Amino acid sequence: MKVPVTRYWRLLSTYLKTRKTQFSLLSIFLLSGIGLQLIVPQITRRFIDLAKGGAPYRSLIFAALGFLGASLVQQLVSVLARYMGEYVAWNATNDLRVDLARHCLNLDMTFHNDRSPGELIERIDGDLLTISEFFSQLVVLVLGSFFLLVGIIIALFAVDFRVGLLYLGFSSATLFAFIRLRNIAVPYDKASREKLSEVFGYIEERLAGTEDIRSCGAVDYVILGLYKLHFALFKLWRKAELTHVSIRLIAGVAMSVGYAIAFISGFYLYQNGTLSIGTVYLVVHYTEMIARPIRILTQQFQNLQNIGANVERINDIMSIGSKISDPGESSSAAETREKPPLKASSVSFDSVSFAYIKDEPVLKDVTFHLKRGKILGVLGRTGSGKTTLARLLLRLYDPDQGAVSLDDRAIDSMPLSELRNRVAMVTQDVQLFGASVRDNLTFFDPSVPDAILKRVIKELELGEWFNSLGSGLDTKIDVAGKGLSAGEAQLLALTRVFLKDPGLIILDEASSRLDPATEGLIEKVIDRLLAGRTAIIIAHRLGTVDRADEILILRDGRNIEQGPRQTLALDKTSRFYHLLQTGLEEVLA
Amino acid sequence: MNTTDQQYYAPRTWKVILRMIQFRPWLWIGNLCAMFVLMGSFMLPGVLIREFFHLLTGQGPNSLSIWMIVLLVLASEIGGVSGIYGLVLTNVPFQISTITLLRKNMLAHILRRPGSSALPDSPGEAISRFRGDVFEIPLFALWLNDFNGLLLSGGIALILMFSISVHITLLSVAPFILIGFISNAATHKIQEYRRASRKASGVVTGFIAELFGSVQAIKVATTEESVLGHFRKLNEERSHLAIRDRLFHEILHSLFRNSINIGTGIVLILASKEIQQGTFTIGDFALFVFYLGFLSELTTFGGLLIARYRQIGISVERMYRLMVDAPSETLVEHTDVYMKGDFPKIITPVKTDADILQVLEVRGLSFTYPSSENGIKDISFGVERGSLTVITGRIGTGKTTLLRVLLGLLPGDSGQVLWNGVQVADPGSFMVPPRVAYTAQVPRLFSDTLRSNILLGIDRTEEGIQSAIVNAVMEKDLGELEAGLDTKVGPKGVKLSGGQLQRAAAARMFVREPELIVFDDLSSALDVETEKQLWNRVFSREGATCIAVSHRKNALKRADNVIVLKSGRIAAFGTVDHLLESSEEMQHLYHGELRPSR
Repeated sequence: MKVPVTRYWRLLSTYLKTRKTQFSLLSIFLLSGIGLQLIVPQITRRFIDLAKGGAPYRSLIFAALGFLGASLVQQLVSVLARYMGEYVAWNATNDLRVDLARHCLNLDMTFHNDRSPGELIERIDGDLLTISEFFSQLVVLVLGSFFLLVGIIIALFAVDFRVGLLYLGFSSATLFAFIRLRNIAVPYDKASREKLSEVFGYIEERLAGTEDIRSCGAVDYVILGLYKLHFALFKLWRKAELTHVSIRLIAGVAMSVGYAIAFISGFYLYQNGTLSIGTVYLVVHYTEMIARPIRILTQQFQNLQNIGANVERINDIMSIGSKISDPGESSSAAETREKPPLKASSVSFDSVSFAYIKDEPVLKDVTFHLKRGKILGVLGRTGSGKTTLARLLLRLYDPDQGAVSLDDRAIDSMPLSELRNRVAMVTQDVQLFGASVRDNLTFFDPSVPDAILKRVIKELELGEWFNSLGSGLDTKIDVAGKGLSAGEAQLLALTRVFLKDPGLIILDEASSRLDPATEGLIEKVIDRLLAGRTAIIIAHRLGTVDRADEILILRDGRNIEQGPRQTLALDKTSRFYHLLQTGLEEVLA
Repeated sequence: MNTTDQQYYAPRTWKVILRMIQFRPWLWIGNLCAMFVLMGSFMLPGVLIREFFHLLTGQGPNSLSIWMIVLLVLASEIGGVSGIYGLVLTNVPFQISTITLLRKNMLAHILRRPGSSALPDSPGEAISRFRGDVFEIPLFALWLNDFNGLLLSGGIALILMFSISVHITLLSVAPFILIGFISNAATHKIQEYRRASRKASGVVTGFIAELFGSVQAIKVATTEESVLGHFRKLNEERSHLAIRDRLFHEILHSLFRNSINIGTGIVLILASKEIQQGTFTIGDFALFVFYLGFLSELTTFGGLLIARYRQIGISVERMYRLMVDAPSETLVEHTDVYMKGDFPKIITPVKTDADILQVLEVRGLSFTYPSSENGIKDISFGVERGSLTVITGRIGTGKTTLLRVLLGLLPGDSGQVLWNGVQVADPGSFMVPPRVAYTAQVPRLFSDTLRSNILLGIDRTEEGIQSAIVNAVMEKDLGELEAGLDTKVGPKGVKLSGGQLQRAAAARMFVREPELIVFDDLSSALDVETEKQLWNRVFSREGATCIAVSHRKNALKRADNVIVLKSGRIAAFGTVDHLLESSEEMQHLYHGELRPSR
């Protein structure tokens, strides 16, 4: 945390290396702009000395025009420098933003469970926008100001070495003070930024739960929460601002000291005849000019402090590793991806135990084997670990003990992409994007041709349904999900799976909460989907496991019964038989 | 759904700003005073430089010694220090108070408005209303002070310059006026570019929200790269627009800076003779150059302020669009925002005798969604104390809509709800605890402890909470959670399983000890046994009255009355046995669940 610039540089340098040409253009504009800024006051000095020396009128006009020309060119160059700065900053942070999003996507679910999307918006977008803005200013303003400062001091040495020395001492002292104070506000800025993103997380969650809040009569409570967060924010923000002020004050003090030096040294050196009146004017003017880079450096030091907090937060996220290790895509794996995947996979769980929270196991020593092309129905109360089973198979989490394998290969030795290409899951809650049906099916992969989508839709006999969606594949899906019913979303999710052509399908409570009539269409699609594939069906209801070949019953994370469905259904001592009876009893009553 | 036909009554921009200033007038005035002090300290060196050159050259009036000049320069800094402190001490409380007020007004309206479930924008978009748009308004009120400060100092500068030379002042200031016109003409373009760039930014943040809302689906489908490819595309579109916006802004800005140079150049040309003659001194020249900078800042800032003002107009409009149907006072209404930390107490509502439910009647309730033909039509039924009424029907027949209209979560088009024979004027504020409590089909929990989620601010004893937990069949889950009731449930309650989430929501309902409980398909994430237990416990409470949407046999068997909905109308009404004989729709629904899937 001591030197944020280096951390900042480390973060961005990778992204800047690919932009060398643009970077050098930026430097050229920047340096020539500074040169012109130094020359312009020299022209004024010459003008004054000429005027005082009684030079002809023409040469005065000539100097005045020179002044005008030089300052106009200087402005043009500085606009170009700004433009290049923006250009480079945006492009570099775009790259970084995608990488950061990729990193977050690849992190395991424990990361995502702890963070709301609103919070990630702040990290991936808010923080990076600040960094981008800062980059364009770091280069153009901070470096520009620094070189200008150096240039002014050199020019003052050229005037008189004593003046030069005075200003060198003065500027060094001022900058030294800034550098000493640079970091004092960082912790306060960080705290207030974090509180702010907590505020947005709070609002975002409440906006999603308006109905619950209203019907619980909890509006006042939610508003109270908002007050409390803002009060906390107020205290942090004020603290941060007051700390900033103490830094800003130095700039003001330095400015007046600068004038004092200019006046005193100008006065005595003019009196003893060392300096002309034009040169005294030059010194005063340079003093005014010094104010600007010093002011900018101060302001940017404040931003530098803010940025320190931003960079720190991004580095924090970047340094989080996924708990799910990916053995990576070896060349052989890439080949298998090219090959059509096996139609059906076998699955085994070997003494698998797992806990989301230490010492609270959700799965305990679960063992089973599912042969190729068979369908396993998993039953159990809510919280018995059924969904966890599916999550482990897709390596959304890794088991604490035991091994899961697919086609007799341990899944943790398989590249993640390969595993997830071979295993598909349909959850009850279908996650949709506010985009076209096509993009929702392909997840924005433009390389999937419409022809394939249409073929799959035809194969699933969903043509009629897709056509009913208004603009077919181009139909925009409403984000709030108002556009599609739960059943339609299910159909879409099933089509996604069919496109992927996996060897193992997991249906997690896929058909609950639908009315029987809509279910009919889905049943047909599932029939097609499961044909020739291995499947695991996770359900609460007996009806859902009708198509299963095998049954597995979980209770409190233990495998308490397992066997072929037909056999269990006839075995009066089995739990499945008992369940069927209670189910039937319910039916017959 | 189109949103253009939604109405909003946004007040005029200046009125919104004025109302914010009126909200904390003393802070704003204090801020203005601090700004004047600061500006004064910035202006002083200009006069002193002139004095200095007069002292040096002996030309022009001079009454100060070199040490006096130095002393005054240093003294001006004291003004600067107090000005800056004054600014910060007024800025922050002004901004936080008004920001809190605006956010609170928006959120409160959204929460209280009937039909509160639907937002016209995506959640990511909605958040940017609460973020950037809210922030702009108090910032503008403070910018006004900056402008006032510049205006005052600019006026003083002009007076000083005029007193030296009228014609040189007029001619050197002319470029500012010209450039002021140019920039004013360009504000439309600025706005257009700004709007395009903001919109692209909203698309990017909206997509990030979707991206991480769908993280599991993306992982499972291994489509990280194609989704990121789309993300990259959106980013590039945005950066293109943002750079354009910035470049245009830079060019305008540079025009303003150029106006100082041109002004100085004019002074040089005009004054060359007079300088030679000594009628226009070097001190005068230095003063002109110093104050031209001030004047240029004034015009720059004025142009910026105008552009910003239009920008705020757009922000205000967007905020009102988010607060569908809000009267114009909604956003700016003044209430306490408790910036002293003296928070109000939440009042736990107490049941009166009139609240005790004897009979609920629903008469001719109708509602049609504005965007479609769907809805409910002419629904009438009665509910006795201690009874269970189950609403069933196929998907899309209006079951949830019926509950929402009954509870006032959607505004009914016609019909009445009568509580113990008395007509309920505003169901939205009447059909709430302690009379009625509701658990939605997909209940939402919030990032907090389980206890806070269940209580949501009401006052209950530990026993009260425990009994609600037992009623909701959640006592076993509680033992399994890491910290029991104090477990943090994560955003939207993700750390709980689907069933636990629904039971927690049920506990949240029971803890309010309502007269009437309303479930929307609570059983869909519960297994048969848990569901059975839940019903047993619901009806072990004295006088428990319940309306539930369900397809489940457990519920249907238990029901005193079953309402079968078809296309938004009551297709059949009665006990399940009666309906199974008389209603074809009921037979279809009832046996549909039984029928083997193939």
